[in-house]
Amino acid sequence: MTSCSACSAQGTCVSAHRSTNEMYDRTRAMGLATIFDRYEAQQPQCGFGMQGVCCQLCSHGPCRITKKTDVAICGATADTIVARNLVRLAVHGTAAYTHHLEELARTIKATVAGKTPFKIGDEAKLREIASLVGLDAKKPAGELATALADIILAELRKGSDEPLALVNLLAPKTRLEAWQELGVVPGGVLSEIRDALTKSMTSIDTDPVDLLLTVVRLALAAGYMGLVGTITIQDILLGTPSLAQSEADLGIIDPETVNIVAHGHVPLVATAVIQASQDPEMLSLAKKAGAKGIRVYGSMCTGQELMQRSATSAKGFAGQLSNWLAQEYYVATGAVDLVMMDMNCSIPGLKTVADRFHTRLVSVDRIVRMAGVEDHVDYAPEKVAEQARELIKMAITAYKNRGQDIHIPPYKNPAVAGFGVETILGALGGSLDPLLDAVKKGSIKGIAAVVGCTNNRNGHDTRGLTIMRELIKNNVLVIAAGCMSSAAEIEGLMRPEAADQAGEGLRGICQALGIPPVLNFGSCVDIGRIGVAVTAIAGALGVDPAQLPVVASAPEYLEQKAVVDGVFAVAFGITTHLGPVPPVTGSELVTKILTQDIEGLTGAKFLVEEDPEKAAQAMLAVIDSKRQALGI
Amino acid sequence: MKEIMVYTERCNGCLTCVLACAAAHAEDKTIVGAMAAGVPGRLFIQAVNGRPVPVLCRHCEEPACVAACMTGAMQKDPETGIVTNEGHEQTCVGCWMCIMACPYGAVVPAPGKEKMAIKCDRCPDRDVPACVAACPNLALAFIEPEDFARERQKSVATALAVEAGVPA
Repeated sequence: MTSCSACSAQGTCVSAHRSTNEMYDRTRAMGLATIFDRYEAQQPQCGFGMQGVCCQLCSHGPCRITKKTDVAICGATADTIVARNLVRLAVHGTAAYTHHLEELARTIKATVAGKTPFKIGDEAKLREIASLVGLDAKKPAGELATALADIILAELRKGSDEPLALVNLLAPKTRLEAWQELGVVPGGVLSEIRDALTKSMTSIDTDPVDLLLTVVRLALAAGYMGLVGTITIQDILLGTPSLAQSEADLGIIDPETVNIVAHGHVPLVATAVIQASQDPEMLSLAKKAGAKGIRVYGSMCTGQELMQRSATSAKGFAGQLSNWLAQEYYVATGAVDLVMMDMNCSIPGLKTVADRFHTRLVSVDRIVRMAGVEDHVDYAPEKVAEQARELIKMAITAYKNRGQDIHIPPYKNPAVAGFGVETILGALGGSLDPLLDAVKKGSIKGIAAVVGCTNNRNGHDTRGLTIMRELIKNNVLVIAAGCMSSAAEIEGLMRPEAADQAGEGLRGICQALGIPPVLNFGSCVDIGRIGVAVTAIAGALGVDPAQLPVVASAPEYLEQKAVVDGVFAVAFGITTHLGPVPPVTGSELVTKILTQDIEGLTGAKFLVEEDPEKAAQAMLAVIDSKRQALGI
Repeated sequence: MKEIMVYTERCNGCLTCVLACAAAHAEDKTIVGAMAAGVPGRLFIQAVNGRPVPVLCRHCEEPACVAACMTGAMQKDPETGIVTNEGHEQTCVGCWMCIMACPYGAVVPAPGKEKMAIKCDRCPDRDVPACVAACPNLALAFIEPEDFARERQKSVATALAVEAGVPA
């Protein structure tokens, strides 16, 4: 581990964060097995699965490609099996993003009908997008919002032979041409999911190259609907993020309040709960139970969504606790009364820890279920105001059962949230030129999006933070999203003072503008926000995204949404580093296409490097070569 | 005499050998049957920094487990060289001296049975032990130790030749 200052007093160093190390000591002392223990218990892991050459589709299987046999029983090669497995991962990721977008579209319609506690949060963006998709932007906001939501739902559902409107309308022209040439411009997302799932069934599409093109189609569908579409509709509903000061790490937990954690990716229930937590009736119930107040904390991407809107629709947000790998540890503080689990990333291990304390786990999305969790308050836009009050009452009841065994690690850091194209333009006085000039002059060498999950394979947050620190030291502006945002917030990299850790050029720019060297772009769905920013920069310079000195890194990628995010970035022209080795190395063909040949088609490729320092060097080399080609 | 020889660098941790061993010692001789009945494998894949390392009985010439066994349950067959307590289990009292004596940790308590040790019996009814036959990575081989050594000598010699500049 490179962050030795993060070790606990007992010398535990499983995480880059002192708080997590300290909590791991606590769970071990309690005899509670948590994620780091389960990881060890799974070692060694099967090499065939790691290489992606295990096929379990039919009852002849499982088949593996081994030294003894180079084809499966049906004759499928390693190339086919690896590519087909990858399609199935991409389908999962695309489907999950689609769920998020559908919930938003339903919510917009219910909001216009006056049935939710929400208000249209960004009317200007609504009119801009409405006009882009061909609606009469002069119509009343409500009418436009409903029509836009209907268009989104129709786009999700249309055939795979009808190209997605948002791809045609939003993609840089040069990109669109490249994708048309490859035949990967996707149609309706649900149809693409159907096609891809059908193709990846036994003996339908066994051509590895066509399967990989299917992954790209899915990734573009996920990118323009699940990412860009979702952030756009979410901004219209909850407000476009604006700069806000917040805090992160377990030290923000107040032991004297009713403590609710919003955990997941979809911030709708959480926003309603924050609003309801300020209701005098709820506060009086909390006080009657002996608490000082009610606090709503964030975990995972739901927390990031709330943080970046904590100056507007999520005013009152108490701060971010942690990311995916650390979820059991905030429960193990003994001071969390209720966890609202919305879509994605609530691990079954959470229940074991919650049972040791008084903590109540509640699923707040109809598709989230966990063995042993019986409390379901499934989000319904029309009922969410009442559901929010119900959740708070459940939390107050749980608070009354809170035990004495509480330990809150005393660490926290301030963090600035709310960056995006709009806030950057605001900070720069309405034009991207000052930023572009800094890049041209070389005080900022380039931009790196360090995004995605956290993963114990590389050491909790250690690799991601090492890469961020290396990049800023070399004058690369880092923009972070997803679990990597939490990592940076907790370690103080999202404070303006962190400019001290940047190289001279970047430091000067950060200090002049009062911004941190690692900009908080929010949740993992906000990777779409990064796509929008890169599109704007490419447009301002009149070049293709692949020509820009911009790279991406998913240093600790974990799950299926990250798979489509990564492929989207590469299809978009952004060379993307992966920390964990993806399960493709069993196929020379697939590995070669993803790490070499695809560059000839999209202008970008995957860089796989487990060593974070070498990874940062490789990313810097990409930035340098792009600068050279641009003549800057 | 043939022995189970290990190419540690070829192991990818798939545990097929462990499952095949369990199946070979299950009543119905199937993997699913062994898993349902909780029949354990008798060789072990340990992880060192995530890298798999097979660990198994070496059927030693002077087995520490046999020397330590006070009841005579653990024996070495002078003809086959197999070290096992099978056929003499009734005398095993579960003192675990064999477990303590074995430098490889290759002897373990039998699960579910009152105080009895189990270990690799090198599949006496098979030409090739089940684990070796099953290994998809050719990481296990049932060969004469001399042949294993010769093969290794050849590969080392090739590397040494390159280093010494000997023309191929």
